[in-house]
Amino acid sequence: MRYFQVNDQCNGCLACVQNCPANALRAEDSTANRVLSHNMARCARCGNCWRICPQKAIEFQFMLENGWDEVKSLELVFCRVCGVPIYSVDYRRTLSEKLGTESEPTCSKHRDEVTRAAKAHFLKRKSPDIRSDKRGGAI
Amino acid sequence: MIVGNLKPLEEIIESLGDYKNIFILGCGGCVSVCLTGGDRQAHQLATELDHIRHYKTGKPKFTVHTIERQCEPDWLKEYLTIPENTDAVLTLACGAGVQTMAFFFETLPVIPAVNTTFMGSNVEPGVWQEMCQGCGDCMLGHTGGICPIARCAKTLFNGPCGGSNNGSCEVDKKIPCAWAMIYYKLKKTDQLHYLMKVREPKNWQPAGGAGPRKLVRPFNKPL
Repeated sequence: MRYFQVNDQCNGCLACVQNCPANALRAEDSTANRVLSHNMARCARCGNCWRICPQKAIEFQFMLENGWDEVKSLELVFCRVCGVPIYSVDYRRTLSEKLGTESEPTCSKHRDEVTRAAKAHFLKRKSPDIRSDKRGGAI
Repeated sequence: MIVGNLKPLEEIIESLGDYKNIFILGCGGCVSVCLTGGDRQAHQLATELDHIRHYKTGKPKFTVHTIERQCEPDWLKEYLTIPENTDAVLTLACGAGVQTMAFFFETLPVIPAVNTTFMGSNVEPGVWQEMCQGCGDCMLGHTGGICPIARCAKTLFNGPCGGSNNGSCEVDKKIPCAWAMIYYKLKKTDQLHYLMKVREPKNWQPAGGAGPRKLVRPFNKPL
């Protein structure tokens, strides 16, 4: 998608080029044509080109409404209980490296449930030992 | 946005002193939008400064560059390369940008080329109007979207003074009376009862009364 668009009213007067405060517009005269170029990284989206254009040739709405450019596609990890997407495979790898352990792929809802179930299981398994503890200390 | 205005050329030249290598740095943010300190103005300023007649002991060498925003120290650290042998940075940023630069380049003099003027909006082509003083406790919802603090010449908060005359301010007839504007706007929106409501005194601490203001978003850190 091209964000900066100019309609057929443009006559190459260069008002936009000469008045762009960010120097984001450029005109190059080749042998046969005058070529206007726009640099999105420089553009401050101030709208001065649109404001100043005597021909009303700049379709500034595309700078405001614009579309989405896909910048990356990453493989997903899904909750092993309900199947909702949680994070990417790469994110999981980063998380595992930072935590020093493999994380369980569960969503926030089921993570709590799994944690509760694991805790209950752990307590159930441990409780006979605790009862048999002569010191009778709390968990 | 923040609106600024270029300092007089004589003042800029005087502030350059005897520095021989000057890095002129434009800002691609607010001052670019208000046609004061963007890439174009940075190059224009370099052209104007690059005349031998301004200097008694030889003119300095100017290098020009623009970065998207000068108030982002991590950007500066990562992406801004200062040319070797630079003696001083002449920045066209607002006060926030200048201070960020001065903080970041500890040993390099940073010289402002712009007077930071106000927070405002582009009311018509080529005209910027002060709209906000950043009081930190916005009450525009009660005043028809017209700020009496920023737009009344006397920053009167609780109603017009005796100098309001047929919708004009006594300070200058070209300035509309903010409280007259508020009245007419509230009348149009059927909200005149807002003017009758008795309110708690405004809290002026967020306006800076409690010292320099800071906004902290504790969770906005990389994982």
